[in-house]
Amino acid sequence: MYGWRGRIGLLVPSINTTMETEFWRIAPQGVSVHSARIAGGRHGTPEELRGMENASKQAAKEIAMVEPDVVVYGCTSGSFFEGPAWNRKICEQLSEITGAPTVTTAGAMAASLIAGGYKKVDVVTPYVDVTNERLKQFLKAHGIEVVKLGTFDMLDMFDHAKIQPEEIYSKVKEITTPKAEAVFVACTQLRALEVLDLLERDLGKPVYSAVQASAWQAYEAMGVDPKIMDCGGLLRRLSEPGASKKAVKKLRRSA
Amino acid sequence: LGRIGLLVPSSNTTVEPEFYRALPAGVTLHTARLFLTQITPDSILRMVEDLETQSRHLASADVDVIVLGATAPSFLKGLGYDRELIGKIEAATGKRATTTSTALIEAIRHLNVSRVVLGSAYDDRVNAIARSFLEASGVTVLDAKGLGVVDNLVVGRLGPETAYDLARKVDRVDAEAIVLACTNWKTMDVIDRLEQELGKPVVSTTQASIWAALRMIGGIDGVPGYGRLLRNIMAAGKEAQFA
Repeated sequence: MYGWRGRIGLLVPSINTTMETEFWRIAPQGVSVHSARIAGGRHGTPEELRGMENASKQAAKEIAMVEPDVVVYGCTSGSFFEGPAWNRKICEQLSEITGAPTVTTAGAMAASLIAGGYKKVDVVTPYVDVTNERLKQFLKAHGIEVVKLGTFDMLDMFDHAKIQPEEIYSKVKEITTPKAEAVFVACTQLRALEVLDLLERDLGKPVYSAVQASAWQAYEAMGVDPKIMDCGGLLRRLSEPGASKKAVKKLRRSA
Repeated sequence: LGRIGLLVPSSNTTVEPEFYRALPAGVTLHTARLFLTQITPDSILRMVEDLETQSRHLASADVDVIVLGATAPSFLKGLGYDRELIGKIEAATGKRATTTSTALIEAIRHLNVSRVVLGSAYDDRVNAIARSFLEASGVTVLDAKGLGVVDNLVVGRLGPETAYDLARKVDRVDAEAIVLACTNWKTMDVIDRLEQELGKPVVSTTQASIWAALRMIGGIDGVPGYGRLLRNIMAAGKEAQFA
């Protein structure tokens, strides 16, 4: 069976065109990615973001059948919008349906920054003000302060994918402050993955992204070392000696 | 170059990896799922109820083409059923659409063959429906053999050697081509080798679906490594010499 080493069940907002592509791009031999779509509109209004919580349950039922080793709820704002308790609720609901551990992008964002010990960060998003405020609150609840936030300020979530990697590179470089210990690029629709290495080299500090942090937590949950060496330090760390590779998964019938 | 929207049965674990591996740089894949556990007529009919909703999800990602990447569900009600499903998808989304069964027939015509043998993962009942769909479409099926699997997850666990063995078993001298049916069955890895050994084209439902999607997107000459059909996407059947 494909995915004999690890099968990722990826739930993406229906309008998302970036995350499946980036997840497949980094998937090593023996790991497969299977997607289902979360119903919703293309505008990241509060109503739409809240609606994703309920809609994700249907997508989880669809993906449960491939017997995933981990389920990824691939939307940053759709997992931080109503705060940490809401995010936990999403995780519990989806794991209940799929029988697999759930990673959400917002959870992965917090976990990756906490793992690095970063308490002051700069953030780049494509979001409008109300959503940016909620992101800051979410990180604050995890003991992380947003020093500076730069935004592309676009409500249309489909259009977030049209922002080019070099624009993301420039935006990060433009807004980052010496005070920030790390930078996080939010939104799984932003094509940040391919410029993370360049940014980390040019800025001399960690730069993480939504897709990257989600992948990091997913591979960690699967106990799979993906050996992804060109998408930033966070993913490279999965391949360092001594990285925790707690292979928790039981051997499948088909092995 | 383009975005392919793929509708897969929820229990299919094969078609996404096989599409991804074969797609040229610049073409991306976006998937939505239709609920299906068993390859039986009842389950399949229920699955199709979800077709329009899931097609709209794909359309919201502004895909260029929507492919119903499922074989049995697109031939289940015989000739014309695939067209009916295409009509539903197109009406719901305004996007161009195709199905695996449609692609299969087009591929067979494109290769300019009419007498084939059929190997599938299905049980006799579904295999008989496959056979009559092919024959109603003007293809002579000289022989048909199936592995008899009904549970779709079990199909996903079958190794590619099962497709290789069945193809060799069902092949006859008078067959002009071999058809391998079921998008959850790993066929892509054995097509090239079978063609070299048997000296005739091998058409798998996954390969034909990729071929049809790339033709609709246009501008792609070919993809090497997966048989004659994909090697030379735009070539007309007759001129494409079988190598």
